[in-house]
Amino acid sequence: MSGITRRDVLRAAGATGLALATAAACSDGGSSGSNGGKAKVRMWTWYGEQREQWPALIKEFEASHTNITIENRIFGDTDAYLPALQTSVTGGDPPDIYAPHVLAIEYGKAGIALDLKEAFGEDFLKGFFPSTNDEYTDDGKQYALGWMAQTFGMYYNPTLLDKAGVDVPETWDDLIAASKAIKEKTGLIPCSLSNNPGPTGLDFMLPLITQASDKPQLILDLDAQRNGAKWSDKAVVEALAKVKQLVDEECFAPGINGVTSEQASTAFTNSKATMYYSGSWEPQGFRTSAPKAFVDAYQVAETPAWKQGGKHWCANQAGAGLAVSAASKNAEAAVEFLKWVYEPDRYSKIMNDSNSMPSTIAAAEQISDPFMKKMTSWLTAGNGCGHILFGKGSSDAAAGQLAAVIAGDKTPEEGAKGIQEAVEKAQAR
Amino acid sequence: MSASTATVGRYSGPKLQRYLVGYLFILPIVAFFLTFVLYPFARSFYISLTQWAGFGVPRFVGLMNYQNLLDDPIFWQSLRTTLVYTVVSTILQTILPLLLAVLLAAGWRGSVLFRTIFFMPQVVSLVVSGVLWQIMYDGNFGLINEALKGIGLGGLAHNWLADPNTVLPAILVVSLWQSAGFFMLIYFAGLQGIDQTLYEAAKVDGATKLKELWYITVPMLRPVTAVVVTLNVLGGVKAFELIFVMTGGGPNHASEVLGTYLYGLAFGSTAGAIPVVGYATAVSMVVFVLGMAAVFLQFWMTRRARDV
Repeated sequence: MSGITRRDVLRAAGATGLALATAAACSDGGSSGSNGGKAKVRMWTWYGEQREQWPALIKEFEASHTNITIENRIFGDTDAYLPALQTSVTGGDPPDIYAPHVLAIEYGKAGIALDLKEAFGEDFLKGFFPSTNDEYTDDGKQYALGWMAQTFGMYYNPTLLDKAGVDVPETWDDLIAASKAIKEKTGLIPCSLSNNPGPTGLDFMLPLITQASDKPQLILDLDAQRNGAKWSDKAVVEALAKVKQLVDEECFAPGINGVTSEQASTAFTNSKATMYYSGSWEPQGFRTSAPKAFVDAYQVAETPAWKQGGKHWCANQAGAGLAVSAASKNAEAAVEFLKWVYEPDRYSKIMNDSNSMPSTIAAAEQISDPFMKKMTSWLTAGNGCGHILFGKGSSDAAAGQLAAVIAGDKTPEEGAKGIQEAVEKAQAR
Repeated sequence: MSASTATVGRYSGPKLQRYLVGYLFILPIVAFFLTFVLYPFARSFYISLTQWAGFGVPRFVGLMNYQNLLDDPIFWQSLRTTLVYTVVSTILQTILPLLLAVLLAAGWRGSVLFRTIFFMPQVVSLVVSGVLWQIMYDGNFGLINEALKGIGLGGLAHNWLADPNTVLPAILVVSLWQSAGFFMLIYFAGLQGIDQTLYEAAKVDGATKLKELWYITVPMLRPVTAVVVTLNVLGGVKAFELIFVMTGGGPNHASEVLGTYLYGLAFGSTAGAIPVVGYATAVSMVVFVLGMAAVFLQFWMTRRARDV
């Protein structure tokens, strides 16, 4: 071993260092930068709906914007997407354009997401549904754009309802009455619903808070813990009590705390359930995976109202949004790309071709799909209300207490109080 | 000659060079340990003392996350579930594989085929196993309910993963199905090492098969059992994939273990929540402590086994 000298070791270390430095220089390390003199814009979403459209769109954009290249990555589901986004943000290298999920405002406040009011201008943002803009806005700044809007309704199988001799329920009391008839005459599940994971049940419960109060702003205030709003509010107690009543009256399958979205959907499309409460993305999935006879027959109705003649408040907002990284070296190129994508004719075509619900008023007017047209009309009628919680700890707290109330472990009053306590605890973490 | 001179003398010249060469050889593993074990652990411990969402600057809050843990019912629920899961899975996945190995080692016809059959689930990933069994447990379309109805026990049919009373046993069955073959093989290998003359002597003394098992096989396999128990305890403490895929910790946290809870806190993936990485890391420290306890258990059991 005496052959190895200190000089040899230093020489080897120097060579290794040089090699590593060269390798690092050759690689872009995954971060955005120039690509042969072009600005490279990385876009990450989980939105599989437009998977087939993006290649042609990107090709078209790159042909007219020769100084920009777009690298699009679609994860398909949030389970895969969110950890990847979180890791890229923690590593200081978020994609230039990304789906912010419920983190839009937190990312904005932390300086990770760009203020789009400044980047796009007020006029551009006016084209979106106000509720869509509101959900991404904090302290006068907006941190994301709505991509696909959504609303919820009661999907139903007319054949099975006829068999049970009941009509589409106008109110929740009607649903209870219909459920009894359905069980007696057909033995089927009256209404398919999922509460696993927890937030799927919030899609159902949170609009009930607006239904009980007739104040669409309340849910936003509760979420942000502002204007003196507390989760122990009477409307929250009433909403939880309504869910519990529907559970106790056996309107849903037993054990909805353990029913996944897939199970709830499959029960409906395979005629084990007569109705199914879910969102406006369902028709796309039904088309590809449900039996043809079902696809030809099923219908959708507005969410039942709190009382006869009451407003049919329905879950709204665009859970699918797009944010721009504030750290991006190519933020300008990213904004340019998004402006191009959102050009009215192009955007409405994208939404129509993918049977998606648009977030802009102009595109909503050009919808051709009958289901999307019907469901969007509920939003344009002003029935949309919040169902996504963005505040720190809100979603977990509400989901946990809702599940406890459904399981009978807590009364609605205890559940409402429990949400407030859990939110306050979570905010201290 | 002073003590210091003696020390210098001991490590001078060719001897010193030999020592340096020795250290040079262990340098890569030391560097690896420092980079990939010690530093991440120290960094994790520091993060557990901060309020941090995974972005922005971590805010040092001392032991606040640990204090909050004490007052977090879901944490206690997940800790309880983790311990129950660990204890039950360890008992089941130690005894059953031992019995299977003993039966298959008896040299019955077709034992090789059965060994293969029992081992086969091991080659299927936990995620795939979880998805398959989730479908089988389905309340409306599941094979298990259909089978129950087929044998006239339709009254027992329900959504197994949606019921807080059956969700954990249902997951434990899958865990047992998945890993029994692996532990059976470990025992099977251990059985080959037992001196056959012990059994012959027992036979001469008129021992029954059960007594042979209890007085010869079990004591002689104690070192193997120590390994099996340790692997099971560690597997139980860090249980995640199967539960995450099958239930996501539901319904209403009934199958929540520390692994699924800390994952949800760190990534907010299933709950759609804002990450609390500092708090999640405090939970991971609890997992670390439990893991260390399992390692000490192994040391203790191995020493006892050696002393026998």
